[in-house]
Parts: sequence; structure tokens; C-alpha cells
Amino acid sequence: MASEAQTRYKMVNVRTGHVIMEHDVLSHAARSYFCDEPIPPREDYREGEHRWRYAGMAQSFQFDILDERTGVTVPLREMLGLVYYANAKPDSTLHRLGTVAHENGISVYAAVAYENPDGSVRVLDGEKVRLLNALFNDRLHTPGKKVLILPDLFDIYRTVSYGDIMIDFGLSSMEPDEV
Amino acid sequence: MKLSVLAEKLALKPVTEMFDKEISGVYISDMVSDVIANAKPGDLLVTVQIHNNVIAAANLVDIAGIVVTQGKLPSEDVRKMAEKAQIPIFSTDLSRWQVTTMLYEAGVR
Repeated sequence: MASEAQTRYKMVNVRTGHVIMEHDVLSHAARSYFCDEPIPPREDYREGEHRWRYAGMAQSFQFDILDERTGVTVPLREMLGLVYYANAKPDSTLHRLGTVAHENGISVYAAVAYENPDGSVRVLDGEKVRLLNALFNDRLHTPGKKVLILPDLFDIYRTVSYGDIMIDFGLSSMEPDEV
Repeated sequence: MKLSVLAEKLALKPVTEMFDKEISGVYISDMVSDVIANAKPGDLLVTVQIHNNVIAAANLVDIAGIVVTQGKLPSEDVRKMAEKAQIPIFSTDLSRWQVTTMLYEAGVR
């Protein structure tokens, strides 16, 4: 059983803020970014040939990963959030792969990155994915339990909604739910 | 303390299979990002949220169990997801504050 004192990797420099979603009214490109300002901006703005318009927000956080053995801290500014395999569409590769992995004691998540400035998709690099896996597996206590975080090799970004990503999107409603 | 003992002391209603784990602490939050950043493995999560991402976050940080307060009940899909992840969910009509107080009185520190 691991304990916190024995862990090598730590989540450090935790910054709370918002994921801001916006779209280009001219090209219809969409993108999101992390904002840690107390009052997130909602105004339209121009950026080169683009005119970005606010489309929504969700509370979230950013963090860096510290390797206590080497003293190196790696920032994870480009990670938007994680998608649990069970939240992906049932016929998707992530869901099917995750189902097989789960039967073998492995919980699969896909790491979704923020878009490039022009709205094109970005994939988290291999070293950062390795560190994410080290961080979360380092903290597990349940014997035999394992987490596998994969880069978004499944194009999951194009098929999930923000509500499927592990950010606080649409969680503020306290209306009664259907059971 | 085992979840079964705690459930009996607080009259918590299991809405999934029990998976009688040992809890080592308590974390109270309604935010997925907060749970990922601050909850510890073995914690009992006390929340009013019944969104499937709460199960995803609880699984990621190895939460021992979830108490959903204020009489809210997770959907069948969320219950199945929790059972697959072997994370028991309990329901209570109490508020988060009342649950917290009772956890303290039950000896959870």
C-alpha cells in the first residue's frame, strides 16, 4: 500500500480558474483556453483574421507535476481535462478499449488538450502523458488498481461534449434530476 | 473504519453494492476539479453531485465511497458506473453539514 509520504510525483502549483470556450464568428472554428482571472472575460475580440465570441465556461484547475527525486517540475498548461472511458460513446474506440482494460483492473482515461491558437487540435506529448500516469498511479491505495491515461489518439475531442470532460461544466444546476 | 459500520451509524442507504472498504478520511466537495486536486485515496466523498464525472473523479483518486446528501439519487447509469469501478454510493436525506457532524461524532477524524 502506497502512502503519501512515499510518493515520488506530486501535484504542485495548483491554479483554480475557468475553461473559457469561444468560437470564431467568421470561420466557425472553436477553441477553449484556461483563464485564472477572478472575472473571466466575455467580450468579443479580434485576433488577426478571427473574431472570437464567448460561448461558455466551466470551473477547472491547472497544475504542474513535481518529480521529487529529480526536483524537476513540469507544467501541464496545455491539458484541458480527462475523459473517463465510460463517458465516451459506447461504440467509440476509447469506450471499447476501456471496457476491456477495466475487466483487467485498469481504468482508462484520455487526456484532452486545449486547441492551438487557430482552433486546430493538439495532442499532449508523450513525456507529459507518462508523468500524468506516474502522478495518479503513485497515489492509488487499492491493491491491484491501475489507472491508464492515454493521449487523445482517438479523436475523442471531436466526439465528446464539454460535459463529458472532467471539468465542472454544467454541474451548478441544483434542479431535481430524473431518476 | 469500515463503510458498513459507518453506514449503520449514520443510517446511510446503500444505492449500489457495498464494497465494504476501510475509509481513512473524509472530503466534502461538489466540484470534480476540487476532488481531483485535493481528495486523498481512501477518503469518503460527501457531495450533493450525482453527475457521472463525480464517479470518474472518485475512481481516479481512489475514493473509498460516496455519500450523496439531501435525498438526491444517482441515475441507473451512474450507479452501474460506480459498481463497475467498485465505488459504493450511499444516499441520505441529511445535509452535508449534518453528515459531517455525524461523521465526527462517529469517530471519523
